[in-house]
Amino acid sequence: MTRAADLTLVAALLVAVAASLLLGGPAATPREALAALWSGGPPEVRTIVLGLRLPRLALGIAVGAALALAGAALQALLSNPLADPFLLGISGGGAAAATAAYAALPAAALGLVPAAAMAGAAAATGLVWWMARGPLGTSSTRMILAGVAVNAAASAAILTILSLAPSPRLPGALAVTMGSLASASPSAVAWLAPYVLVPAFVLLLHGRDLGLLATGEESAAALGVEVATVRRRVFLAAAALCGGAVAFAGVIGFVGLVTPHLCRFVWGQSPRRLLPRAAVAGAALMVLGDLVARRLLAPVELPVGVVTALLGVPFFVALLRRSP
Amino acid sequence: MILRATALSGGYGAREVVRGVDLSVAEGECVAVLGPNGAGKSTLLRLLAGILAPSGGEVELRGRPLASWRRREVAREVGFVPQMVNFAFPLTVGETVQQGRAPHLGAWRPPSPRDHAAVGAALARVGLSDRSGASVQRLSGGERQLVLLARALASEPRLMLLDEPTAALDVRHQLEIAGILGELIAEGVGVVLVAHDWNFALRLAHHLVVLHGGRVRASGTPEEVLRPELFREVFGVHADLIPCEGGAPLIALRSVAQDPRSAPRADRPRQP
Repeated sequence: MTRAADLTLVAALLVAVAASLLLGGPAATPREALAALWSGGPPEVRTIVLGLRLPRLALGIAVGAALALAGAALQALLSNPLADPFLLGISGGGAAAATAAYAALPAAALGLVPAAAMAGAAAATGLVWWMARGPLGTSSTRMILAGVAVNAAASAAILTILSLAPSPRLPGALAVTMGSLASASPSAVAWLAPYVLVPAFVLLLHGRDLGLLATGEESAAALGVEVATVRRRVFLAAAALCGGAVAFAGVIGFVGLVTPHLCRFVWGQSPRRLLPRAAVAGAALMVLGDLVARRLLAPVELPVGVVTALLGVPFFVALLRRSP
Repeated sequence: MILRATALSGGYGAREVVRGVDLSVAEGECVAVLGPNGAGKSTLLRLLAGILAPSGGEVELRGRPLASWRRREVAREVGFVPQMVNFAFPLTVGETVQQGRAPHLGAWRPPSPRDHAAVGAALARVGLSDRSGASVQRLSGGERQLVLLARALASEPRLMLLDEPTAALDVRHQLEIAGILGELIAEGVGVVLVAHDWNFALRLAHHLVVLHGGRVRASGTPEEVLRPELFREVFGVHADLIPCEGGAPLIALRSVAQDPRSAPRADRPRQP
């Protein structure tokens, strides 16, 4: 049963990949795009498919996987089903730092933007965790309120930076707040890769620990988890994932919330089983969401965050109503 | 001797909740820790389990300082049943008990038939074999406590530390848990039991430790410790000890003796 579900998941990702490459837009028909992939067809079609659609696909996979992994890990770490990088203001913190980096850094140093976004995301994570921790652990209410506060502070910072930023830098800074995969390029994907791969490995290494942490810190420590060490690593990994995603694709909400829950319906609660599946499912969702964002109101391209919000908001409301 | 604490002190930050406690547990021995609310009982249990680092004194597990053990090694020897576990995610009973095998598994290794056997045995011991697929969120308080007991038993520990395992349980579940703990003690498992219910503690305990304001106020066999003055001075109540044939006396509480707020108390520990 699990094997069939795993195969379905991989098939879904492959379908998303094929759709993203072949149905990307009117500039190349599916037949032309297919020919271009097999090294045929006119050069301008090849440029569109291999130079634009392929990096955009790769960025979508990396960002979707990153956000889903971060969401699944934070939900377990905070013992809270409502944890999500976007709702908790972690993406917002990363975006504020990335916007500041875009506005302030010289063009040659823009490679540092992901590092800045990661630092901002880490700061926001720490802040939310500190505010949400009450005498009885983290409660949903405290955590959502802490996220509201951090998000408000982050958007105030972003708006301030945008009003002060020199105009040539505005588009890059603005894109961070929109949430879009439009700026994809091979170099962006190469920059992002370590921000996804290294934290993903750290989280998979601590999958079993995360399952124990989901039952509370005392309970996890009693079962042999080095709580302080694991908590620090998971926080940093989640911050790196969110920071990387924000730096190259901006703030995209709800993927981190919805994907792990969808996977729980099929694979159950254990983070050890959940994390790798959530990564694949997040990638598939993001790629499909981006395709919808590109094609729904073509030739106008919606930010992909709009599509993920359309999917995520009703889901969030349902979860909130159900949570104790 | 499985566990020995010497002059053990500890608390939360600058707040010292447990002060200079001596305590030891042997194979097949049950030590009950009693005392009023805020006396430092749960904190003492966390110090004994190594979940909380002591600010003074020492704990030895099997003759080796606890600080020199890795957490996972400790978890294989010591089963800890906390007062509260977060069930925010609807794990099944079987998955929850399976968590008790985590100290034996490490990061990658999937459970072996040996692990499944231990989980099955733990579930059978608490009488929940047929509920393995049920969600823990749907269980009653008593059944949840049995699941947590089974989770600790699944690691096949030599020592069990239990924080008020019968709080808020009906009498039937209390007796069930007392029966299971009695079996474990007879098999040679050491037990440290934090309890509020004297009559429950006296069913099992060979040795009583009464805490008051973080310090040991009385320590010894039930015969040595149980005196009406103790109840008056530590708990601020008048109590009668009713002798029972072939067992510990029953404690009958009569009335409040003094304003309990005038009694010294350590601060109630924050739940982590």
